[in-house]
Amino acid sequence: MLTAHPGLPEFDYIKPTTLPEASQFLAEHAGEARPFLGGTDTFVRLRDGAWKDKYLVDVKHLDGMQTLAFDPAAGLTVGAAVNMNRVIAAPEVQAHYPLLAEAAHTVASYQLRTRATLVGNACNASPAGDTVGAGLVLNAELLIFGVDGGRRAPLATFFRGPGKTTLRPGDIVTAIHYPLPPAGHAGRYLKLGRNALGDLAIVGVTALGYRDPAAPSGYRFRLALASVAPMPLRPVQAEALLSDQPLSEAGLQAAAEAAAAAATPIDDVRGGAEYRRLMVRNLTRQALRDVWQRLG
Amino acid sequence: MAMHRITFTLNGARERVEVPSNQTLLQLLRERLALTGTKNGCTAGECGACTVLWNGEPVNSCLVLAVECDGTEVVTVEGLAHDRQLDPVQTALLEAGGVQCGFCTPGVLLSARALLDRNPRPSDYEIRDALTGNLCRCTGYLRIIEAVKAAARAAEPA
Amino acid sequence: MLKTKPAADGHTPVGDSVPRLDAHDKVTGAAQFADDIQFGPGLLQARILRSPHAHALIKRLDVSRALALPGVKAIVTGEQTPGYIGLYLQDRHIFCRDRVRYIGDPVAGVAAVDEATAEQAVDLIEVEYEPLPAVFDPVEGTRPDAPLLHPDLGQYEAVNFIFPKPGSNISNHFKIRRGDVAGAWAQCAAVVEREYRVPHIQHVPIEPHVAVAKWDDKDKITLWASSQSPFAQRNLIAKALHLSQSQIQVIAPYVGGGFGAKAGVSMEALAVVIAGAVKGRPVKLRLTREEEFFTTFVRQGLVARFKVGCDQDGRLQALENTYYWDAGAYTEYGVNMTRAGGYSGTGPYDVPNVKVDSICVYTNHPVGGPMRGFGMPELHSGLEQAMDDLAHAVGVDPVEFRRRNCIRGGDIVATGMTMHPTGLPECIEKAAAAINWGHKSSPSAPNKRRGKGMAIMWKAPAMPPNAGSSARVQLNEDGTVMVSLGGQEIGQGTFTVMAQMAAAALGVPYDWVKVAGPIDTDSSPYEWQTVASRLTWSMGNAVSAAARDARRQILEMVAKAWKESPDDLDIVDGQVISYKSEEACSLKDLVIYGLPNPDGDGWIGGPVLGRGSFMPTYVTGLDPETGQGPRAVVHYTTGAQAVEIEVDLDTGKVEVLRAVAAFDVGKAINPDMVRAQMEGGLVQGISTAFFESLQLKNGRVLNPSFVDYRIATAADAPPQLEAIIVEVPQDDGPWGARGIGEHSMVPTIPAIANALYDAVGIRLEAPPFTAEKVYLAMRAAGVVQ
Repeated sequence: MLTAHPGLPEFDYIKPTTLPEASQFLAEHAGEARPFLGGTDTFVRLRDGAWKDKYLVDVKHLDGMQTLAFDPAAGLTVGAAVNMNRVIAAPEVQAHYPLLAEAAHTVASYQLRTRATLVGNACNASPAGDTVGAGLVLNAELLIFGVDGGRRAPLATFFRGPGKTTLRPGDIVTAIHYPLPPAGHAGRYLKLGRNALGDLAIVGVTALGYRDPAAPSGYRFRLALASVAPMPLRPVQAEALLSDQPLSEAGLQAAAEAAAAAATPIDDVRGGAEYRRLMVRNLTRQALRDVWQRLG
Repeated sequence: MAMHRITFTLNGARERVEVPSNQTLLQLLRERLALTGTKNGCTAGECGACTVLWNGEPVNSCLVLAVECDGTEVVTVEGLAHDRQLDPVQTALLEAGGVQCGFCTPGVLLSARALLDRNPRPSDYEIRDALTGNLCRCTGYLRIIEAVKAAARAAEPA
Repeated sequence: MLKTKPAADGHTPVGDSVPRLDAHDKVTGAAQFADDIQFGPGLLQARILRSPHAHALIKRLDVSRALALPGVKAIVTGEQTPGYIGLYLQDRHIFCRDRVRYIGDPVAGVAAVDEATAEQAVDLIEVEYEPLPAVFDPVEGTRPDAPLLHPDLGQYEAVNFIFPKPGSNISNHFKIRRGDVAGAWAQCAAVVEREYRVPHIQHVPIEPHVAVAKWDDKDKITLWASSQSPFAQRNLIAKALHLSQSQIQVIAPYVGGGFGAKAGVSMEALAVVIAGAVKGRPVKLRLTREEEFFTTFVRQGLVARFKVGCDQDGRLQALENTYYWDAGAYTEYGVNMTRAGGYSGTGPYDVPNVKVDSICVYTNHPVGGPMRGFGMPELHSGLEQAMDDLAHAVGVDPVEFRRRNCIRGGDIVATGMTMHPTGLPECIEKAAAAINWGHKSSPSAPNKRRGKGMAIMWKAPAMPPNAGSSARVQLNEDGTVMVSLGGQEIGQGTFTVMAQMAAAALGVPYDWVKVAGPIDTDSSPYEWQTVASRLTWSMGNAVSAAARDARRQILEMVAKAWKESPDDLDIVDGQVISYKSEEACSLKDLVIYGLPNPDGDGWIGGPVLGRGSFMPTYVTGLDPETGQGPRAVVHYTTGAQAVEIEVDLDTGKVEVLRAVAAFDVGKAINPDMVRAQMEGGLVQGISTAFFESLQLKNGRVLNPSFVDYRIATAADAPPQLEAIIVEVPQDDGPWGARGIGEHSMVPTIPAIANALYDAVGIRLEAPPFTAEKVYLAMRAAGVVQ
């Protein structure tokens, strides 16, 4: 096949009524069934012929999937089927997790975000996932229902490679949980796409900072990089530089250089490796400046 | 392949149809119900020509399975006007000269309608942001953006 | 030239920005496009097996397994298509026979009960290929040792103004030799030599190609298609299948964007041939977006070498340009782009010594076809940068340089034709004033730089010398008017403009006029093609002639009935009036049933039916060795664009802050729609400047989807865009009008490139000016780290 199919290939749409039922079906049909949420990537891959599943298991209506809940003591839990537009507009998100809203807002278009979800963005395991960086710097966890019952998996160790995760047959991610962010934090997601809006990231830089008297610099920063490595990346050396030495413009520059050094980008149709590395440097520097300025 | 009986509201009227698992809402509208105002431009959720309102929110109908529409409400371009009265976004687009070939127009109108429903006085940036998913190759967008502004003004109390 | 008489309320349908005829149906979803037509359950679907090789021989082809698949109704291959097809050069089979020449070349077609079955059958067809060495660069393709794509080039039929070179990959070579170029360089104070490239791009109509074909048992064919060229498709398909033109009926409803992609014949012939194998049943072939990107027409690539020189006052002395067109696997249409690029190859400049070579080269790339601008955006892209460089080299302001050298009425252009009156100098002045040329504004942030750039352009309708138009004007019982024509509404607004002209020429209000659609070759009057920005001018001449013919019939009838001279009568606002007797009569009372004979029994007159046709008869041939002749083209539309941009030094992203377009359209029949063309074309130009290229690797398009072939979105349109109409009338145009559809994207790339140079001092070899290319160039130049 030279190009994608005109329509979706044949499959059976399955709509289980309970999580155990869904999980059991998926486990029993390992390799030929997958859960789907908004389908924004699933349908495209089925059309491409990259995926050949016999069953698509709709899990959007199952327990907790549509819940967006904020607990002032524990943090934010976003059900797997909550679409990105709802996340962006949610007052709890805007008040306590503006970084998440900022990142989600850069995903594709409004009508695509009617279907797109945070959990889908994570499960897709694309290095370019715009909301994954926010999840990483916010220490997010995935809530997973599997054949052995429920479990929690840190996003930080969820990815195994491009398109690959630690999910096992029968696993259904039901929600993503964001612990309370550090008090007084500031965050920034800078995305470089080809168009002004709506494109995939050639490079994406997520930065989160907060004051911490225990740190030598008085600050701690967390960084995450998109589209510059096989998996979403935390440049920990850059983060260390920022907490270990007094903050200065030169310090930001050094951290930005360290982030660029941590990146292992490739050449593809969206951009070259050299440019991507330079942009990791420049966007990291800019994101850090913005965050530092907001922290005051 | 499994067939599914679904019931949904389409432009205010109830529809009851049987659909195969892999049929998209776009295919259901165009090929089964002959409601061809909704256009197919890419089948990949990128161009926005197939945008419809699904429970009030714009969505690429090529990325929605027909079976998922059971119990929901769908509005297409054919459902925008009421009692032969054009929706203000239709009138504004017509008057601003924001229509050329017309193929993106249905999707543009539904994105614009949804924007004004959730944000009656959008800024220039908010309009562009809301229309990012509706590709237009003819107009250069500026008249479309002006039309959305005009429709917003028209809805304000005098 | 026609004059417009104001109606009683002072309105004239010509020159008034009336609302579009088609807008209401387009905002309600009622407007019908080709894929919207309902054919019922008998409709079959087609899919195409395409070559995975850029260049190969077909050694074996076996369809038996595919044919055995339930639901498959027929499979056709090159065996069914021995004839050749092509507009200017018949160099392609509808389905490949012994050889494939690009990745995507059609090898077989399947008709089945649905698309999925057809697709399955495609996968079951067995083909054995013997790969051949391929050509992926036009300059290399001209070398004597290059692999040959068309060994039979010498046997192909071509029109008499195309000059293929058998035994090579050159399917046309257009030359201009004027003055003494070699001797002129010595007199130049400054000479600039540059090479610029332009990548392949695609038209990206939002509506992909679709065609439905049906054969009846007497070999009468009906083709419903999204088409800019119903009549050309009828003609070319008939010739290729050895049928008579009258056996084919093409029905073409509204087109959801064309930009040239739907001109001539591309995929439509595939549907026709497949339908021939399942007589009696309609067969639909609908391209996916992915196929749209490389299996119909694409815009040709260009490698352009410029050498331009001027004296110390900045007056152009000599120009020596060579254009290598990367024309793809078949150049049946591309050969004429090469010709147009040749005869217009100096750009809109007055240069005494000229040498131009414009060479059409076969490559194993997707098929080059016409696209908005027909070669002009490509060649102006580099030419206007070279002119900017030359201005800087001699120390003359780039706008002043253009003022001194631009073509003016009465100049002799490089082909020997005398230039007609043109508003190009006025366009330059107005664009420069509107962009506040010469004043640098402050950047919006410390890490940004601003710059301004201008580029000018010219373009003539490129077509055979004798491309014609025709029209009918009928009146109805209620006095309203039906205009029948064969030019297509592809979004540019031609139906509206034709209604305005008919209304003005006849003397009725605009809203009394309708245009008959869809275009149907069995009932619509002949029109060559909807291309070349020629309809306002050519079809406009035909429609106004038809309206005047109807008017003459009406006035003669009334004169007889009233016993007056037609010279004393007029039609105003749908009423026949006499300036002498002051009598008046509404059109509805006479245009069908005539009028009673005043001299007794009986009637005079009858149903009024106006006819009009137009064909330019004055275009001459050009000498094949020198390109010289009295009149190469009908006329040139000229214009200028200027932009102000801001470059982000951290990313290399460029934003157009302000854009200005000024074009001489002769006469704006509908000023608002003229401005809309200028705006839409400019933003399409911006899109090609920043985003668009088919990324080709060994003949494969790496980005055949919207995910990675980006076009401008609403967020990319400039915040400010001013469109300025200049009107220096054209003697052979209706009301003095010239075309504007294509021109508005011709100078955009170089205007932006010149602004980029002004802002940060860099020049890039080829668009698109992606953030990456801009950043890396700034880094190489030491502008950024």
